[in-house]
Amino acid sequence: MLKFVRMLISVGIAAAIAPAAFADVVRLGADVDSATMDPRIQRNTTEYRVNNLIYDGLVQLNANLQVEPGLAESWENPEPTVWIFHLRENVMFHDGSILDADDVVFTFETILDPDLKARFRSLFTPIDTIEALDANTVKITLKEPYAPLLSYLDMGIVSKDYVEGGGNIQSTPVGTGPLKLSNWERGSRISLEPFEDYWGGSPNTDGFEFVVVGDNTARAQAFEAGDLSIIQSPLSSQDIGRLVANTQFQNEILGGLGITYLNFNTQPPLLGDPALRRALAMLVDQSTIVDAIYEGVDQVATSILLPSSWAYDASIAQPGFDPEGAKDAFAAAGWTDSNGDGTLDKDGQALSIVLSTHSEDPNRIQSLEYIQAIMLENGVDASISIADWPAFSEGVRGGQHEIALLGWLNIVDPDRLMYGQFHTGGSFNWGGYSNAEVDAHLETGRSATDVGDRTAAYQAAAAIIANELPYFVIAYQGYQVFYTDDVTLDPDARGMMRSVIGN
Amino acid sequence: MIWYVLRRLALFIPLILGVVAVTFGIMELVPGDPAAVLLGDEASEEAVRDMRRSLGLDRPWWIRLGSYYADLAHGDMGISYFQNQPVTDAIRQRVVPTLEVAVVALLISILIGLALGVAAAFWRGTAIDATSMLFAQLGVSMPVFWFGILLMYLLAIRFDLLPSIGRGPPLAGALVEAALGRPAALLESLSHIAMPALTLGLTNAAVISRLVRSAMLETLGQDFIRTAHAKGLLNVRIIFVHALGNAMLPVVSVIGLRFGALLGGAVLTESIFGWPGLGQLAVAAISQRDLPLVQGIVLTFAVAFALVNLLVDLLYALIDPRIRLE
Repeated sequence: MLKFVRMLISVGIAAAIAPAAFADVVRLGADVDSATMDPRIQRNTTEYRVNNLIYDGLVQLNANLQVEPGLAESWENPEPTVWIFHLRENVMFHDGSILDADDVVFTFETILDPDLKARFRSLFTPIDTIEALDANTVKITLKEPYAPLLSYLDMGIVSKDYVEGGGNIQSTPVGTGPLKLSNWERGSRISLEPFEDYWGGSPNTDGFEFVVVGDNTARAQAFEAGDLSIIQSPLSSQDIGRLVANTQFQNEILGGLGITYLNFNTQPPLLGDPALRRALAMLVDQSTIVDAIYEGVDQVATSILLPSSWAYDASIAQPGFDPEGAKDAFAAAGWTDSNGDGTLDKDGQALSIVLSTHSEDPNRIQSLEYIQAIMLENGVDASISIADWPAFSEGVRGGQHEIALLGWLNIVDPDRLMYGQFHTGGSFNWGGYSNAEVDAHLETGRSATDVGDRTAAYQAAAAIIANELPYFVIAYQGYQVFYTDDVTLDPDARGMMRSVIGN
Repeated sequence: MIWYVLRRLALFIPLILGVVAVTFGIMELVPGDPAAVLLGDEASEEAVRDMRRSLGLDRPWWIRLGSYYADLAHGDMGISYFQNQPVTDAIRQRVVPTLEVAVVALLISILIGLALGVAAAFWRGTAIDATSMLFAQLGVSMPVFWFGILLMYLLAIRFDLLPSIGRGPPLAGALVEAALGRPAALLESLSHIAMPALTLGLTNAAVISRLVRSAMLETLGQDFIRTAHAKGLLNVRIIFVHALGNAMLPVVSVIGLRFGALLGGAVLTESIFGWPGLGQLAVAAISQRDLPLVQGIVLTFAVAFALVNLLVDLLYALIDPRIRLE
C-alpha cells in the first residue's frame, strides 16, 4: 500500500513539473496517430507528415511537387541508368553525429530488403545497386531507365550508426530534419521541438504538435474552439460550409494528388465488353457527386491524368453523364428490355451488377447509392455491397468485384497511377485489364528520360483508357486546409507542414 | 469470504480461455487480411505472401490458437502488427486513461441517477416525476456520438468553458497533488475529463434513475415503511435509511453491468474527444485486423468487467447482511 502511495506521489510530481506548453506552438489536428517514426516503413498520412519534419530526403518536393535539393546539393544523370548524388557537408543528425553517404546507402538497402517489410519497397525495386563513392557521393545504378525515381527520393534518410547500434528508431527517431521529437503520448499527441543545429538554419517555431482526434466533426469543432490551429482533409462536408463562412479562418483548396474512381472488372463474362462499360459510365452523374456530396472540394474528372501533372491534356475525355445516350449505347451493345420487366437484358440474361465500396467513408457510400439510383431508373439492376476496408480490399485485390468505388493517393508521377494498374498482369491490375498498345506506352513512359516523350506516351495511353474504361475516374480529389491567422502556411497538396516552420 | 473470492478468481481461467476462443473465431471468420492491410495497395501478391508467413498467419488455425494460449500463460500477448510494440505495452499505456473516464462517469451516473430516481419516486405523479423521467427517456435515446458532439459545441465553442479535446495530467497524480494543497493539476485534469465523462455518465444516469425509481416505489409500498411512518419517523430518515437501503440491491447489480456499457461507450467517446484510451485503440485495431491487439483489448475489457462484477457481489453482502457469500 505504502508503495502504491509513493508511486502516486511520484506520478503527481512528475506531472506538476512537466513544462507548460508554449503559447506559439502550432497544433495540427490529425485523424490518426503515428504507429512508427521510422520513415522507411511509414504507412499512414500522419506518419508521412511527422517524418517529413523529423527527416530530410536526398531531395525535397516543394508545394508544386517540383524536385528541389535536400540532403543532396546536386545530382547528375550521366547515363539513363546511373544517378550520382552529391551530399551536403556537415549535416548533423539530432544525436550530434554527422551524415555521410553510408547512411544513404543503408537507408535504401534496408528498404529494398524484404525483411524490413517497407510499404514503399515496390517504388524502389528498379534500383540495381546503391553505393558510396566517397563520404559525400552516392551512386544509384538502375536495372532499366526509371524516370519517376527522383520524385520518390524525398524518403527520409536514417542514421546507420543509430539504427545498427540498437537505437529504437520506431519510437525515438533520430533524423536530420528541422524538428525533433520531444514527446509522444500515444493515441493523443506528438510534440516536436526545433532542432537548433539544422543545416538549413534554426527553424522559425517554438514547436509543432500533431493532436489526434479521430472524429472529423470533433476535429473541426476543436479547431473552432481554438484548441487547434490547422485542420486539413479529410473533413466532413457538413462542417466545411460552416468553417468557410467563418471569416476568422484562412481557407484554401488545392487540387490534390488523388482520384476517386470506379474499378470495372474487365474480365468476362459480365463487364468484358468496353461498349457496356461506356454505357454504364454514362449513368454516373459526376457533377452532382462532386458538388452535392463533396461540397465542391473535389473536381469533376475527365481522364486518368491529373490536372496538376505535366502530362495533363484537357482534350482527352471519358464519356460524360448522358442517360439518353446511355439508352442507345446499351442497345448498341445488345442490351434491351425485351421482356418488358423494366430491366435490360441480353440473351435471356438480366443486367444485374453489384456496386461495392468500403464503409469508412460516408461520402463514398452516398456516391455509390446515388449511382445505384440512376442505374435503377435506367434499367440496370444495380445492388450495393458495403464492407469495411480490409474485407472490401481483399475482395477487390482478388478480382471478385464487379464495379468497385475506391481511390488512389500520392500520385506524384503518372507512372504511379498507371503502370501497376493497367499493364497486363500489373500488381494492382485487379480488374484484369489487358491491351498491348497500352502496355507499350506505359513502358515508354517509364523508361524515357525526356519529358516530351513521356508526356506523349502517357497521353496516348490515357486516350485508350478513357475509351475502354478499365477505370472510370469520377473525381480528382481536392485537398482543403483551414488555419488560424497566426499561422503562416504555403499549402501543399500532400498536407506537408514544412512551410509553417519556415523550412 | 476469502474462499469465495478465490473461487470466483479461479473462474477467470475458463472465462479467459473462452473469450480468447470466441474473439479468435470471430476474427478468423471476418474477411480481410492483416498482411494486405499492413502493406497497402501498392504491395505485390508475393510481398503479401511473405508478410503472412512472417506474421505466422500461414499456419493452421489450431496451431495459432494453441500457441496464443501458450504465450498467454507466460504473460505474453504478442506484438501488435501495426503499433510496432508489444500488446501488453500498448494496453498498459492506454488502460489508465480509459479507467479515469469510466470511473468519473460512473460516479456522475450514480449521483445523478440516485438523486433523480429518489425524487421521482418520492414525488410520484408530480411534475418532478414527469421531468426526471423525461430526462431519463432522453438520456436513454440519445446516441453517445451525437451527444458528445453537442456537449463539445455547447461547452467548448459556445461558452468556452472547457478544453475541447485531449487529456490533462493523470488523475491519480493530480489527486495526490490536491491532497498536498496544490489543486491546479486536479482542476486541469478534471476540466479535460469532464466532457467525455459527462457524455458517458449522463446517458448512464438515465438508465440508473429509472431503475432507482421503480425499486424505490416498490419498497415504499411495503409494510415496514408504513410501520416506520406510523412510528412517526422523519420522511428523510425513512427514504434514505429504510427505503433506499432496501432498494439498492437491484440497483447495485445493474451498476455493475453498466460498467460494461461504459467501457463500450469509451470506444465512441474517445475518438470524439481525442482521448488516448483503449477505446480508440480498439477501433484502430479492429479496422486494421490487428489480431493480437484486438485479442488483447477484448481480453482486458472482459477481465475488467468480470472484476467489477465480483466487486458488486461483494458489495451485496455489505448492503444486505442476510446474504452470505460462500
